[in-house]
Amino acid sequence: MLTHDQLSVLLSDLELDHVERTSSTKDTDKFGEAICAFANDLPGHRQPGYLLIGVRDDGQRSGLKVTDELLKNLGAIRSDGNVLPQPVMNVTPFTFADGDVAVVEVLPSDLPPVRYKGRVWIRIGPRKGIANEQEERILTERRVALARSFDARPCPESTIEDLALGQFEAYRHEAIDSETIAANQRSIEQQLGSLHFFNPERNCPTHAGILLFGKNPRYFLPGTYVQYLKLPNIDLTDVPEDQAEISGDLQSVLRELELRIKALIQTSLRPAAGFREKLLPDYPEWALRELLMNAVMHRNYDSNTSIRFYVFDDHIEIMSPGGLYGEATRENFPTRNSYRNPIIAEAMKTLGFVNRFGYGVQRAQSLLKANGNPPAQFEFDEHSVLVKIYRRLE
Amino acid sequence: MKTIAFFNNKGGVGKTSLVYHLAWMFADHGIPTLAVDLDPQANLTAMFLDEERLEELWPDDDEHPQTVYGAIRPILRGIGDIAKPHVEKINPSLGVVPGDLGLSRFEDKLSDAWPRCHNRDESAFRIMTAFHRLIESATKWGAEIALIDVGPNLGAINRSALIASDQVCLPLAPDLFSLQGLKNLGPTLRDWRAIWAELLAKAPSDLPMPKGAMQPAGYIVMQHGIRDSRPVKAYQRWMERIPSIYRTAVLNEKPASRTPQVDQDPYSLALLKHYRSLMPLAMEVRKPMFFLKPADGAIGAHVDAVKKCYQDFQNLARRIARSAGIAMSG
Repeated sequence: MLTHDQLSVLLSDLELDHVERTSSTKDTDKFGEAICAFANDLPGHRQPGYLLIGVRDDGQRSGLKVTDELLKNLGAIRSDGNVLPQPVMNVTPFTFADGDVAVVEVLPSDLPPVRYKGRVWIRIGPRKGIANEQEERILTERRVALARSFDARPCPESTIEDLALGQFEAYRHEAIDSETIAANQRSIEQQLGSLHFFNPERNCPTHAGILLFGKNPRYFLPGTYVQYLKLPNIDLTDVPEDQAEISGDLQSVLRELELRIKALIQTSLRPAAGFREKLLPDYPEWALRELLMNAVMHRNYDSNTSIRFYVFDDHIEIMSPGGLYGEATRENFPTRNSYRNPIIAEAMKTLGFVNRFGYGVQRAQSLLKANGNPPAQFEFDEHSVLVKIYRRLE
Repeated sequence: MKTIAFFNNKGGVGKTSLVYHLAWMFADHGIPTLAVDLDPQANLTAMFLDEERLEELWPDDDEHPQTVYGAIRPILRGIGDIAKPHVEKINPSLGVVPGDLGLSRFEDKLSDAWPRCHNRDESAFRIMTAFHRLIESATKWGAEIALIDVGPNLGAINRSALIASDQVCLPLAPDLFSLQGLKNLGPTLRDWRAIWAELLAKAPSDLPMPKGAMQPAGYIVMQHGIRDSRPVKAYQRWMERIPSIYRTAVLNEKPASRTPQVDQDPYSLALLKHYRSLMPLAMEVRKPMFFLKPADGAIGAHVDAVKKCYQDFQNLARRIARSAGIAMSG
């Protein structure tokens, strides 16, 4: 992050293309666009960009008082899912004699193009604008060299024939702003590439492409399914009452999981005050959903193990392959998170399976508490994350 | 800040759902928006909030400090002026003043206050302007636009709510009742406007007074009021009559020999279709139809319907913003 002196330099130089100044504190769209543009880093500086709030266009401070709320709102841009894939950014306030400055530092993304509300924003000199097709292609091609996450890497044995393009077409309308689609001249490969599902250099889909739109993802990634078991008792060794291997493209898997959750929750009616009755589910549906979505989003797709979703008489176990990832550790879980699969995370947000990033576990715990269930228990080892959710106490 | 009421004295045309969707649309375009539920049926509030929250807002006792009824209750009991209204924040740019069934108890008080205003009675003016001052106070957080949902009648609550509004949008269904309603409503609006202008001269100078502009912003034809069993011809006939009835009844113009068709009429703000299966999906997940995602069940052909719905409401919101003089980006 910047020092006070470095910031003073940025404030006075009005021609820099990696700095944007604004005196507005409310215009969330403007902030989102600026953050998106810096994350894309079209000029290729590979240096952070800075959004300076509380500074007028001429470089003078506007007499802003940085409030906790402003910092919170700025931080929220990272996790509200409008900038996708998620940007890496820091927010810091600085105090000067004639007013505060809130600085948002945005690191260039490893996975350009980054979109804000479906549009690719870029820096054009000291201004910003929406990328045209040529510029978007430059960003897509730059990504290939940088892609580090497994889901962004090419799946070399596969070809475009392995994707269900009808599914992709429907997805594209969710992910991309409709004006951009209307003005579209791109080939299908470019369309897929711009959303991180195709690698133009190797001329094959990425792992994310296969996971989301593959006709048969398990052919390429054998572990990508969910093993569902319903057991009559508390022993894994009993004969299961029901079992299923839930596989297919990610969207079908998620929808099937939803149906399974709905079917397994039993709801009883209890009289409440007066003539009213209260619905008492044995598990809160949304807590199970959040925890399953988490497993799907964060699992290691490079592994040949499936997600295990075991329903016992008194509790449910969800185990996902791949331990805690990146900055997340046993100590800081679940407040700190890191994305093993940023493109899968982006797709789940686009499809509406996730509303906000980095929040699922807390939400699940509070729903469990409200419903009268014990808190979910997490167990981690090198290769897996296991969560146990217990039935509501009577 | 601009206040816009949505009003028709024929119920069931889908007005509340219209206000709900417009509020979300304005907020989505970065315009801080306040939705005020002044319909004693409180359906708008029930669309925004889940049952648990509603139970908290409407407990069995009589106070309800967080609803519109709670805010005007001191006036109703004759023990003071309006209390500071509670604004339920849905997101940083969208707030709701929750409605209340108890609001209907304000009707008598308001109809009693109206004639007393003629006698320069200050307490009567306080009662008459309660909604206006409530909205002013509820928009203090920075709301630029307040959308008011009112019940389908020409009673005293609605009179007071409309006097508090700068503009009025009229949602209609293409049927006999809506058009008959329009014929009643136009002259009534003009009466209220004229009387309020007279009363303003008699108002105490230290009380903030609404101008009572109630400018008709135009009408919105809600086609989902139409039942499938009815022949298309019948409703086509009502559609054709809307522009001329709007001009004579609401704008008080002389009957012209030629009026434009609804789809060409500058006073027609929108023709909203029935979005069929989107509405039940939207109700289930408590979000506007145009924000439905595949995860909410909007898959296949729904995807296009959701996009279309977004565009329709965006166009409508743009027209309303333009006529209210509010800049709308995006």
